[in-house]
Amino acid sequence: MTGTASVVEVDNLVKIYTGDVRAVDGVSFSVRPGEAFGLLGPNGAGKSTTIGMLTTTVRPTSGRAMLGGIDVASNPTATRSISSVVFQDAVVDRPLTGRQNLTLHLRLWGVDATEGRVRYEMLCGAVGITDILDRAVSTYSGGQRRLLEIVRALLSSPQVLFLDEPTVGLDTRVRHDLFDAITTIRERTGVTIIMTTHYLDEAERLCDRIAIIDAGTIVACDTPRALLASVGEDVLELRVDDVRAAITALGDLGVPAADIAVTGSTITASLRSGAAARVTDHLGRLGIDVHASTTRRPTLDDVYLRLTGARFGSSDD
Amino acid sequence: MTTSTIATAPTAAVPRTQTRRPTNVVLVLTLRRLALNIRSPRSVAIPLLAPLLFAMVVAPALGNTLATPGQHKTYMTFVAIAAAGLLIPVNCMFAGLSVLADRQSGAMRELLVAPIRRSSIVIGNLLAALVITAVQVTVLILGATARGAQFEVGRHIAWLIIAAIAFAVFVYGLAEIFATRISNAEEYTALVPPIAIVPFFFAGTLYPITSLPTWLADVAKALPLTHAVALFRYGLTGQGAQALHNIWGGTDVASMAMLSLAVVVAYAGIALGFAIRLFAKAGTS
Repeated sequence: MTGTASVVEVDNLVKIYTGDVRAVDGVSFSVRPGEAFGLLGPNGAGKSTTIGMLTTTVRPTSGRAMLGGIDVASNPTATRSISSVVFQDAVVDRPLTGRQNLTLHLRLWGVDATEGRVRYEMLCGAVGITDILDRAVSTYSGGQRRLLEIVRALLSSPQVLFLDEPTVGLDTRVRHDLFDAITTIRERTGVTIIMTTHYLDEAERLCDRIAIIDAGTIVACDTPRALLASVGEDVLELRVDDVRAAITALGDLGVPAADIAVTGSTITASLRSGAAARVTDHLGRLGIDVHASTTRRPTLDDVYLRLTGARFGSSDD
Repeated sequence: MTTSTIATAPTAAVPRTQTRRPTNVVLVLTLRRLALNIRSPRSVAIPLLAPLLFAMVVAPALGNTLATPGQHKTYMTFVAIAAAGLLIPVNCMFAGLSVLADRQSGAMRELLVAPIRRSSIVIGNLLAALVITAVQVTVLILGATARGAQFEVGRHIAWLIIAAIAFAVFVYGLAEIFATRISNAEEYTALVPPIAIVPFFFAGTLYPITSLPTWLADVAKALPLTHAVALFRYGLTGQGAQALHNIWGGTDVASMAMLSLAVVVAYAGIALGFAIRLFAKAGTS
């Protein structure tokens, strides 16, 4: 991070769609210059609507958002000039070449042609797409297209780069290449990044801070380390027949109800280090059958489960 | 994608200073649209086929069949000019498909987050449609001339040019409105015949509007195409007095031409204004 003053300020942002659908319900956060800030949540949680309001494609119902000190609602063109977006889906002109797409972006953002060319050669070299720039984008792989879009978004030296689900639809290897590319670009440009994702590993790896968003509201916002620490040192997963008896037994051992989550016949409990063995022994003494028992380090999935009572994968939207 | 390239790339910082010169955004968007269209020659050629057929085959045939001896070239010229009244709306309506294509390919989203006025996007597409239409009308006139049509490219030509531009703006405005409101190409394409082709038969193109039933003639007088075609005749032959008289009933040709031009320009202004407003509104949900 390069400073402490916020480059993005979001204050009680609300978006209600027709039919009284509250997509975003009072979201507030701030992002410091150079910070990578993640909005983490399942599909339909309100992440993309929040990004839409910050990028002026969605009109807020109420609340306020400032980018670089500029009010997004009252001065949308000025805020668009200091930001760029990499969308979830490809938004390039596929019949045109990569170079033509980059040039178009430079012109639309009013970047000096010479300076822009230097910049895109540097960025394309950094992510390894220089050799394919003169090919029609329709011939690119999904990963190459996404890299082109990231380079394009950075051409105008935006103060804020929005990445909306940047790795969705990409295979594992390409996803990891993209992580490297985003990290490299961040190191070189110092750009502030706001990204949405429903991939926990992505948020943990790329973001300095994460806001967990559920049903249009932020339920937690902190560094990945602090969020993980809030869960406990170990996570015990038990698959049992008698869920109710097992929960009672956990309570007898002093495990708070807030640290216990149930998904079907699986109980997840956040524990202090070394407490897992004591729990399984106690269940055995009580005659509660445990079909499977796993102890592991906590993940953001556990954080999400603890805060919302649901797992990421269980969302159907 | 090569991770190794990333790892070994030089570590110099990307310059952050920006020189945001005022760029002619509309020109940039026009060139983008032309670059996309020129890569698809079919979209340029197909709208030209029917009007060329009219100018080079149907018009001479009708001239030979229907006109009195010695008048067939006059009638052929009459029909050939009318073909522009088919070419312009068909081409401009098809140009609206590019808006749908931008939306479906996702490219529209990039344009909507660019630091430009949303109206620039509409105007840029409109100018590209006008450029392509101008080329097509020129080809049409040259083709008809090759088949023997007798045009007078003289002092009245400005009427043709201004009327053709205004009429094209009107139809493109409609195209943009429908493209903004309609989500799929099939539904949009179904609108092309009623908007671009049906009025052609009631607008004094193949026969004077006085040949129509009175009520239909009154409807024809309200169509911008009727006024545009009358102005095309006035601009390209200097002899549009009869068509203008059929609309206005007067005798002062210049005044009637001015009135017809005002009608076409008014239609164009309303359609374009509404299209821009609708597009800007649709760009922010």
